[in-house]
Parts: sequence; C-alpha cells; structure tokens
Amino acid sequence: MILAVLFANSEGNILVERFNGVPAEERLHWRSFLVKLGADNLRGVKNEELLVACHKSVYIVYTVLGDVSIYVVGKDEYDELALSEVIFVITSAVKDVCGKPPTERLFLDKYGRICLCLDEIVWKGLLENTEKDRIKRLIRLKPPTEF
Amino acid sequence: MAQPLVKKDDDRDDEEYSPFLGIEKGAVLQEARVFNDPQLDARRCSQVITKLLYLLNQGETFTKVEATEVFFSVTKLFQSRDIGLRRMVYLIIKELSPSADEVIIVTSSLMKDMNSKTDMYRANAIRVLCRITDGTLLTQIERYLKQAIVDKNPVVASAALVSGIHLLQTNPEIVKRWSNEVQEAVQSRAALVQFHALALLHQIRQNDRLAVSKLVTSLTRGTVRSPLAQCLLIRYTSQVIRESGNAQAGDRPFYDYLEACLRHKAEMVILEAARAITELHGVTPRELTPAITVLQLFLSSSKPVLRFAAVAMTHPVPVTNCNIDMESLISDQNRSIATLAITTLLKTGNESSVDRLMKQITNFMSDIADEFKIVVVEAIRSLCLKFPLKFRALMNFLSNILREEGGFEYKKAIVDSIVILIRDIPDAKESGLLHLCEFIEDCEFTYLSTQILHFLGIEGPKTSDPSKYIRYIYNRVHLENATVRASAVSTLAKFGAMVDSLKPRVFILLRRCLFDSDDEVRDRATLYLNTLGGDGSVVETDNDVKDFLFGSLDVPLVNLETSLKNYEASEEPFDINSVPKEVKSQPLAEKKAQSKKPTGLGAPPTGPASTVAAYETLLSSIPEFSNFGKLFKSSAPVELTEPETEYAVNVVKHIFDSHVVFQYNCTNTIPEQLLEDVIVVVDASEAEEFSEVASRSLRSLPYDTPGQTFLAFEKPEGVPAVGKFTNLLRFIVKEVDPTTGEAEEDGVEDEYQLEDLEVVAADYILKVPVFNFKNAWDSMGADFERVDEYGLGPRENLTEAVNAVINLLGMQPCEGTEVVASNSRSHTCVLSGVYIGNVKVLVRLLFGIDSSSKEVAMKLTVRSEDGAVSDAIHEIVASG
Repeated sequence: MILAVLFANSEGNILVERFNGVPAEERLHWRSFLVKLGADNLRGVKNEELLVACHKSVYIVYTVLGDVSIYVVGKDEYDELALSEVIFVITSAVKDVCGKPPTERLFLDKYGRICLCLDEIVWKGLLENTEKDRIKRLIRLKPPTEF
Repeated sequence: MAQPLVKKDDDRDDEEYSPFLGIEKGAVLQEARVFNDPQLDARRCSQVITKLLYLLNQGETFTKVEATEVFFSVTKLFQSRDIGLRRMVYLIIKELSPSADEVIIVTSSLMKDMNSKTDMYRANAIRVLCRITDGTLLTQIERYLKQAIVDKNPVVASAALVSGIHLLQTNPEIVKRWSNEVQEAVQSRAALVQFHALALLHQIRQNDRLAVSKLVTSLTRGTVRSPLAQCLLIRYTSQVIRESGNAQAGDRPFYDYLEACLRHKAEMVILEAARAITELHGVTPRELTPAITVLQLFLSSSKPVLRFAAVAMTHPVPVTNCNIDMESLISDQNRSIATLAITTLLKTGNESSVDRLMKQITNFMSDIADEFKIVVVEAIRSLCLKFPLKFRALMNFLSNILREEGGFEYKKAIVDSIVILIRDIPDAKESGLLHLCEFIEDCEFTYLSTQILHFLGIEGPKTSDPSKYIRYIYNRVHLENATVRASAVSTLAKFGAMVDSLKPRVFILLRRCLFDSDDEVRDRATLYLNTLGGDGSVVETDNDVKDFLFGSLDVPLVNLETSLKNYEASEEPFDINSVPKEVKSQPLAEKKAQSKKPTGLGAPPTGPASTVAAYETLLSSIPEFSNFGKLFKSSAPVELTEPETEYAVNVVKHIFDSHVVFQYNCTNTIPEQLLEDVIVVVDASEAEEFSEVASRSLRSLPYDTPGQTFLAFEKPEGVPAVGKFTNLLRFIVKEVDPTTGEAEEDGVEDEYQLEDLEVVAADYILKVPVFNFKNAWDSMGADFERVDEYGLGPRENLTEAVNAVINLLGMQPCEGTEVVASNSRSHTCVLSGVYIGNVKVLVRLLFGIDSSSKEVAMKLTVRSEDGAVSDAIHEIVASG
C-alpha cells in the first residue's frame, strides 16, 4: 500500500498531501516527520536524486524537484524499490506538466493538472499508471497511443 | 479574488505570488455556486474545483453540510461537454467521497458514462463508481465490470482490475466470481494490465495453494511484460517455495527461475530475486553465491535506493562477505543507509568487531534524527545481550548518549535498554544503576524520573552498598515536582524497609518530607513512618508490613481501575476485596497489537521471567490451584488446533513440584456463535503417573474474545513424569443474531476434537542462561559429571541434529553455540538450565557427522549440583 504522497515547498509548507489508509490522528505526525526528514537531508541534493529512509516498518523515498520536495511513503509490497518506481513516475509527470523542474509558483499554477496526474498514478494506495506520455493523454481523457 | 497589480516583466514578484494566496474555505464554497449557473463556464468551474482540491490536499475538511452542498452542485457539471472539466469532476467526486444516500444522485450519470462509446469515460466512471459504491449497487454493475476487465483498451481494463483489488476487501464474494476474466487479463499484451491482473488473481486465490502454484509455474515459463509484474511473480514464487517445504539441496523448485532473474535488465527485479534467494529456507552457499555477488555490486551503487535495498537484504542472513563493503556505508551521505548499515553490522558482526563499531557509531550519532537513534539503541541492546562480556563498552556508550540532548522517546529507549541490561546481566547492575542515578539528577521527563525511582527502590537495596543511592533519591525531594517527590518518598521508604542498617537515617529524611507542600508527598511520608515503625529503632520490618506497602496489589490493575471508577463516595469505605481477581480476557485484536519488543520500565516486561510472573498471578488467583506451591515453569503455548479452524485452542503447561496445570486458551472464531460452559475433557490413560484433581470451566466464550479453562493433575513430587493426553473440547453452543448481537436462549451441547498433548522431559527444565559458560563450568566442578556417547542416526546436516537435541532437552543454548557453521563436520554446543527442584545443570555437546553416510555421533557431558540430575539428563537423551 502506498500510504502517502506529499509535496512540500522549500520552507516545509505542504502543497499536496494525500494519505491512504493512515488514521487521521497519525497524519500530523507523518507530515512533520517527513518535513523534518527533508529539512535534515535534502539540502544540496540534486534534482530527482532519490533519498530513502525507513521508519517503523514503513519505507520512505523522497527527492527534490525544483522548489518542491516530494515524499512517497509505502509499506509491505511497496518497499523502497517499488516506491522509487512510483516517485519516478510522479517526478516525470510533474516535469511534463510544468515543462521543467517547477518553481513553487509554476507548481501552483499547474495545480489542477498535477492533481489529475496523481489521480492517474496512485489510486487509493495502488500504483495504476507508470508512463508519463500515457498519463498526459489520460488527464485530457484521451486514450493511450498504443491502443 | 482580487488580483494584485503586477508588471508582466517583473519576474521576481511573479514567482513569489501564489495563485492560492489568501485562499479561504468559505469564499471557495461561495465560488462553487458557479456550478449551478445555467450557462456553465467550464474554465471557471475547473478553477474552482482546483481550489477545492487545494483545500482538501492541505488537510482541510468540509462539514457534512458543506460537502453535501458542493457534491450536489458538482453533479450539475455532468451537463457540460467540456472534456477537461469532466476529468476534474471525476476527481472531485472521488475526493468528496459522498455518503451512501447522496451517491444515488450521480449513479445514473456514471452508469451512462460506463456504457459510453468513449473509452476514457468508461475507465473513469468505473473508478468513481467503485470508489463510492456499496454492495447492492455493485451487483448491478458487475456485468459491466467483468466486460471491462477484458476490454481492448488497457486503461479500461486496468481501471476495472484495480477496482477489483479494492473491492475484494469489501465484497470478496462478488470479486471472486471474476476469476475467469482476470485469468484472461493475466495473458494480456499490455504490461500494466498484466501487472494488475496478476496482483488481483493472486489475491483471489491466495488461500488455494495449488492454484497459486499453478499460476507461478505457468508464468515463470511464459512472458512477463513489466518489471513490476516480474517482482510480484518473484514474491509469489518464494511463497510457493516456502510452502512446498522442499529443502532438498540441488533440486529446489524454481531456483533456476530466481537465478535467471538476477540477470534481468531492471534493477528492481534483480534485487527482488536476490532477496528471494537470501530468504530461502536452508539456503546453501552455492545457491547464495550469485545473489551475494549482485548485492555486493549494489552496495557500492551510485543510487541511494539501491544501496539501501542491498543493505536491507543482508539483514536476514549473516552475509559476512558483505561486511567490508558495508562498513564503508557507515559514512554514507544518506543517513538512513548509514543507520541501516550500522544496525546490520551490529547484528551480523562478531565479538571482536564490537569495539571498532562502537567508535564509529559515536561519531555518527549526532548526525541523525531521534527516530533513527532509537533504532541504533535497540540494536545495541540486543548486541549486549548477545555478547554479555562486552557490557562495559556498551553500557558506557548508552550512558554517554543518555547525557546528550534528545526527546522523550529516545531517552526512554536508552533508559529501557539500561534497565534490561541490569536485569539480565548481573555484573552490569551497579554501574547501570549509577548511570540511571546520574540521569535523574538532570532529567526533564517526569515519567522517566518516577519510573527510574521505582526501579531503584527494587534493585538498589539488593546491592552491596545501598547507601550510595540515597543522596540521589533524596535530592529529588528538594528539586523536583510533586509527582517525582512522591515517588522519591516511596523509594526512600523501600530502602528503609529492606535495609535495616539504613532505617534510622531514612526515617530522619522521611520526617523532613512531612512538611512538604504537596498532600500526596506528606501522606506517603506519614504512611511509611507509621507503618514501618517510625521510632527510629533498628528493628526488622515485619513481612506483612512490607507486603502491604510494597507487595503487588493482588488484583489486576484494570479491574481495580474500573471498581474505583464505579465507587461512589459514601459512608462505606472502598473495599479492595470487592475488586474481582479474575483476569478479564482480552479481545483478540488487542492482544495482537501488543508489541513483541522487550519493554524496559513502563509496562511489565514481556520477557520469559515476567510471563511466568503473569501466569503466577493468574494461577494464584484461582482458589483450586492456590495451594500448589511455587510455579516452576510454564511452557510456550502448544497449538491444539489447525490454523483457521472454527475454534482455536492452545495450551500452556504449568509445572509445579507435585502438580501440573493445563491452561487451555480458547478462541471462538465464529461470529454467529456463543459458547458456554466450555471445558476440555482429557483422557489420561497414557499418562499413568497423573491423576486429575481439579478443573475450572469457562462460563462463556463470545466471538473473538479469548478465554481460558484449566485442568490440574497430581503427579509424584519432584519426579519428571511424562505422558500423553487426548483432549476433547466440550461446550454448549448458542446461535447469535449477527444484527443485534444477541444470543438465543437455548443452546445445544457439542464437542470438538483437539490434538493430543504430551508432557515431556524438557518441561521440567528451565531455560536459564549463564553469561560466561567456561567460568560456570569450571566452578561447577566435575563431582557429578556424567559422560556418554550416542549415535543420532543419519541426519541432513549438523544444524538439524543440534536443534533436535536442544529441543529435546529444553535448555538454553549459550554463547551463540546453537549456530553451526555451514558445511562443518563437527560442532560444540553448550547449554545451561535449571532442573526441577532448582538444580543447576550445564551440558556440553560435541557433534560429529560422517560426510558420506551422514551418520551423526554425539558426546554428551553433563555437570550439575546433583548426580541424580546428571543421570536424568542422560536418560532423557537415551530415551529421546
């Protein structure tokens, strides 16, 4: 299960926060834990370089893209390897929508599109689509090209 | 929203301005009224939906009324032909997750979309419907979903399959009917469809071993189109291997497939295969080699995720070849990898590497967050228990980090570790207690201070010089808050009660506490002074008084708490005898949730000693068993039923000097039944030395709430009598109405056959470790040494023979000698234990295996404090 997908800006403010199967009372804890993890480790990290952590049998893969840091949390079958696949899909979709690694402003400008991409990629905790070109078409309700 | 004036060429300002600046829920909800306009402005509607999404994604919640209002307006947007807006509508409906009575509004629109000629409408409508649907609606749309699974468009098929995975949780019966379609989808040419279909098919069939095995066999031979599906297949394959239990070296099924995956082009697949190989049961070095080679490569990969995965995989096996690669990872930029590398090294390293590792860890601790520090502390705790001779270095490390900055959880983990070390390693006691004393001199956590004071009260008086702790304790009375002061008073009193020479001086201190500003502190001091005989004379405190003040309450705390809550203030004082002593059975879920980790101070420790204490309390609360004397040993629970049967029963054997009590833990797994008057009927005709003396039935056993029934047997005193018992569960079953949860008046008597139970020689030996076997062996002396040689017959390998003997004797392996180096032809294993009658026993086993015939020979040397016991051990082996 992919437990959470979280986007934060460089100051640690949340831009997107989507949880699956995480009780409401634990969400705040996860939010602050992830943001702190980013603050401790993400300084100076190159775009899309993946970092990884594991906390209470839960895996976390996170990275930076432009002004935005992205965190993906999973457990069981979604271990660090599967999550790195998930975050790869997310970063490429976001880059595709924004045309480049986004500034915070650009990210917020494209907010609706990014939400649609996330909806295509992670659905209630399961990975659904993995190709950015297909996702790009799907969010416009166009069938995939190979079909 | 008012737009600030921004010059177009002023990029900087432009960057800083957020489109959601000053966004406010109320205003957005107002804006959502545009959804009701007769002339829909698709662009504007999309913008408003984006704002709603932004609010939801920030963790904002809508009240029921707000959500309903937005939901109803959103449904109007189905009228629009704008494709972008339609996509947004699908998303926002899922996010709003309307309640069952509202769903009906959109059902017809979605059903229409589900049959639309536009594929993408179909896919999205499926996803939305499955998100908001309930069982009744599902049966209506089932036909369409089955069609969708085999749809030509991969997006539609995937949408239906992933929906199936979700729906399987809520409506398994319906989804299981789709297995033919899902089976077809597994053969799909579209990579993702195959991935999703494989996951769903496995979930549908996971309880059918044969079907899973067939699935794996056919797919490992066929084509798997995506790395993700390949990873799933590897996992299912290892499951099949595990369940087939065929550990024959050389012809392990599917090994070739796993090995071939090590050469796959996707790193994810390679690592998954390597993990599967390292986790194989009884893996041989030859099988392991290719996996180790790829793991070593990944340990030095440039990608942190791969390094991390490789380190994590070396956890289950002592892959010492990787240790050198791993030591370089302690300085890894990514602190999580460094933490994992350290903890792995601590687990797999040997005694000689401890000091070197500790040095490296010290440099590294300041760099990581508390959460990871806790992991390191826990690893050090288990390391110390593994190599007790190294306790000085490890205890010093713990005390050093205890002085540094850190949050409550981290400090608690350290304190817990020190406490466990003090409990388990006698030599560590004095230094450990002093470290704790120093810590409470400057401790900001009331909880930890009180817990440490309590612990000091128990352990301190038993040390060689109890007086040195008094200063630390009395300082608390001056410097701390009322809670800590009260604890300190109790601890002082304990010293006074236990150490007669300190009594007069402790009383002086206690008298000073009579002037404390807090009621509780004064009350405690008064109570102790009066009951302990505050006249200052050096007299031994009466045992009854000690029991009253410091003994256990004799009633379960939960029961006491409930009784106190129910007590209404009146003329009649609260009577502790009115508190029920029976331990109320815990719901199953709660039991499962209990942590398996050893706990230090807080809860009663879950280690073996404390389990015995818990059993002791339980048994002594039952009048029939209260005169059996001291409990010698309680076995681990023995299952008497297969997993997943109607009733789950296991039994714990409690051994007393001249009695044996069977505690049957029963769980009723059928929601529609209530069992009453549950008892186990035992036939002891194959246990001649035992005669049944008492029994205690279980009055009621509701669904999923375990309960216990007991049977007691008398046996000759001090004799390790053995025998076999057949068990039959007898009860009255009553039907329960699942809607109301009420049981019917009348029940029917019924029986349920359980597995047989044996009392064996090992039940009379306690596993008690010694920390320096050689010292213990030498000091025991050869007075009652008995030596003999035995042939154990042909065995697969030495490990099997060693485990068999350890299990037969039920003794504690010492110094890690239960682990046999692979392929070795001889092995020495040392065991220690306490035989019934409290006689210490040490055993040295020397094994040898013949490389061709696989015959194992064993030399058994026993030393004990009693010749008869040494003989008895030989007898156990000879008859086993």
